[in-house]
Amino acid sequence: MLRSINFQDLRQKIYSAVDNRVRIITAGLGIHELRAVLRGDPPTEKPNPRFKVHTTSFLFHIRPRYYQQGSTILSHTFRLGFMTVFFYTVELITGVILMIYYVPTPSGAYPSIIKIMSEVPFGNLMRDLHRLGAEATVIFTFLHLLRTYFTGSYKKERSFTWFTGVILLGITLFLSFFGYLLPWDQLAYWAVTIGTSMAEAAPFVGTQLNLVLRGAPDIGAGGLLRAYLLHVILLPLLALLVLSIHYYKVSREHGISLPARFEEGDIPEEKKREAKRRIDFLPDLFSHEIYLTILGLFILLVVTLFFYGGAPLEHIANPQQTPLDTEAPWYFWWLQGMLKLGDKTIMGIIVPTLLVILLFAVPYIDRNPYRSFVKRPVAVSLGVFGVLVLILLSYMGLPIYGIEQTASTRIIQDLSPEEGEGPLREVPYEQLQQGIYIVNESPAENLCPEMDYGCPEFESFFALYTDKVNLAIDAGDLVNGDAVLVIEDWQADLKKVTMRIRWDDEESGETKTYERHVYMHRNSQVGYEIPSNMAWRALITNVAF
Amino acid sequence: MSRSNLEILLGVILVSITTVILVVYGFNEQDRMVLESENQQAREIEVGATLFENNCTGCHGLKGEGIPGLCPPLNNKEFFTTRMKEVGWSGSLEDYIISTVAGGRVASTRPDQYVGQGNPAMPSWSDQYGGPLREDQIASIAQFIMNWESTALEEVVLEELATPTPSPEEAADPVARGQQVYLDSGCGGCHTIQGLTSGTVGPNQTNLATNAQTRIPGMSAEDYIRQSIVDPSAYIVEGFTDGIMPKNYSETLQPDQLSDLIAFLLSLK
Repeated sequence: MLRSINFQDLRQKIYSAVDNRVRIITAGLGIHELRAVLRGDPPTEKPNPRFKVHTTSFLFHIRPRYYQQGSTILSHTFRLGFMTVFFYTVELITGVILMIYYVPTPSGAYPSIIKIMSEVPFGNLMRDLHRLGAEATVIFTFLHLLRTYFTGSYKKERSFTWFTGVILLGITLFLSFFGYLLPWDQLAYWAVTIGTSMAEAAPFVGTQLNLVLRGAPDIGAGGLLRAYLLHVILLPLLALLVLSIHYYKVSREHGISLPARFEEGDIPEEKKREAKRRIDFLPDLFSHEIYLTILGLFILLVVTLFFYGGAPLEHIANPQQTPLDTEAPWYFWWLQGMLKLGDKTIMGIIVPTLLVILLFAVPYIDRNPYRSFVKRPVAVSLGVFGVLVLILLSYMGLPIYGIEQTASTRIIQDLSPEEGEGPLREVPYEQLQQGIYIVNESPAENLCPEMDYGCPEFESFFALYTDKVNLAIDAGDLVNGDAVLVIEDWQADLKKVTMRIRWDDEESGETKTYERHVYMHRNSQVGYEIPSNMAWRALITNVAF
Repeated sequence: MSRSNLEILLGVILVSITTVILVVYGFNEQDRMVLESENQQAREIEVGATLFENNCTGCHGLKGEGIPGLCPPLNNKEFFTTRMKEVGWSGSLEDYIISTVAGGRVASTRPDQYVGQGNPAMPSWSDQYGGPLREDQIASIAQFIMNWESTALEEVVLEELATPTPSPEEAADPVARGQQVYLDSGCGGCHTIQGLTSGTVGPNQTNLATNAQTRIPGMSAEDYIRQSIVDPSAYIVEGFTDGIMPKNYSETLQPDQLSDLIAFLLSLK
């Protein structure tokens, strides 16, 4: 009985059944061939089945069949376009996970973020990845644009690809901008309030535009929902559409541009031929892409866990309370800088619009047929000039150049900002001993004789306070100034810290006082560094065992 | 080794490292979430403390000690032990606080002990009922009040901050001492003195010394003020009702405190 079964035959049958299934799934690659692809081996069959998938498979038909060897040189592209798509994908995946918990209403948004941070396993990591990924997307989109500009890759048949790229840059910026509002904290609320108020300066339609964006004269439930829908539906769909066009032009029509030296450089014919050698998508480009994805994920994760302080979350948005320091996201600092140069309508709307039009029109204005650096001195120097201006404007838009405040307010805001860490929050809770500490009267050392190990952090904080007050007194900003710091035990695990500065106002001749009360709880970390610290600690302890 | 093979090797190594990092992170995720919850609760208490200071201290005292005869204390044993039974509240104390702050009190539940600040006895604070505070802000205030539990039940005893001895000039000045009496006795919970207090239940006292001269013909400002403190029902300013101001200040204030207080009020021209 057993002998009648031909094992060789059975093996053959199973093999061909599996092989068939694999061919159906991979749209044409057999099991041996698949193995060869993954190992980077040459094709196992003839004709080369790796070309077939580009017509039979949907996912492969949108990928290029090959790139020219010269265009895959790392120093030519730096893989910036690929990395932009990589970060878009990270945003898509983490974003969908965040959407499970996020509630787009003014009363629900902030608590849902707190829930993501404190009750959802890996929720905080998703939020950090999403936030850091968003900034990376902006950076890589911009770097990709610079690379394309400086290698002259936008010319001739690629001019429309450039055009769609500029649209994608705009979509990326708007995606970040509307995503910025969603946590519904003070940071988000005021940055977006300022941002949308720019729309108000648009000529003729400003008021209406502002109303359409905010859903009401002020941002509220309507504005939040609009920002949410733009962020999760409209802009992503638009991005997908434009990205498809952008990518199709690269992958199916023109390929990645060759470095200029191979097209117009004075190099041997042999090398030019080598540069035009085809590198097939399967297996080389494909495995390279997988490798880049893994590398990107690894670097993103390591940066998020070990080098990133965590996505910020300030106090819940309060329309009644304008914060002392408001700050736009860094990629809009250039716009803030421009606003300081002049009128809101001209500098905030008209000039930026003209600049964007100029950016769109670059390939149509630049009729110079050459692509190498030396043959396009004007374009290259204009590009360098543009980048420098952008950096300068961003620098001018830095919050340091913000609104003037009285010395007392500035000192106290620097020591204990309304939001975030600040020197006061860095003093360990135990070192805040109840008492009255008077600047220039209390001893500078040994501030807490009752503590066995002293209170070095508190002492250095008090020294900082003293320095700042004395500096302002010397500068004549605090005439007859005196300053005091009072620490009280307020509740179990809660201390009240009062900072009061008194000075004579020269204009009115009156004595003025500015004071701030800060409540500090033993468990409050305010800084967002717990997760990263924990990751470090965890790694060290777990590896040690 | 070809580039492709090198990348496959490196890719496998990186995937392994990434997985290890994620697993280690995952092991500590529970602890991190607990810490983060504590952090968020602590931040809420801090926010609640500021809101309490800005909105509630006028009546309930700087540290929730209340004003005898007017507003009940919150930092107090009865509040945390028997109050819920007294009013027949079946939910948690925190919910009771939230509901009271949000809706206020039309009339006092204990009119013989705490009349409240008039009509209504306590205003509604929720913006749903015309008050100034949002839902989340009221929840933060409740968190802050709940944090008094351990001190109210005397499980934790906090030392008071020793107040600095007043400077010789201040100690010698009855007006300065009187101002301290005014603040310590909770007068500001009901009365306004511009730049000092902002109560709205009782008459505005910013220009009291001037007004007092003409209130009752033939009575000096000093006598009128003294009478109004020790026997508030003797004369009621138009637009205000009798019976709201406590009548026991002649007992709770020492004679020299009373004269300091009068000296302070007479300085309000």
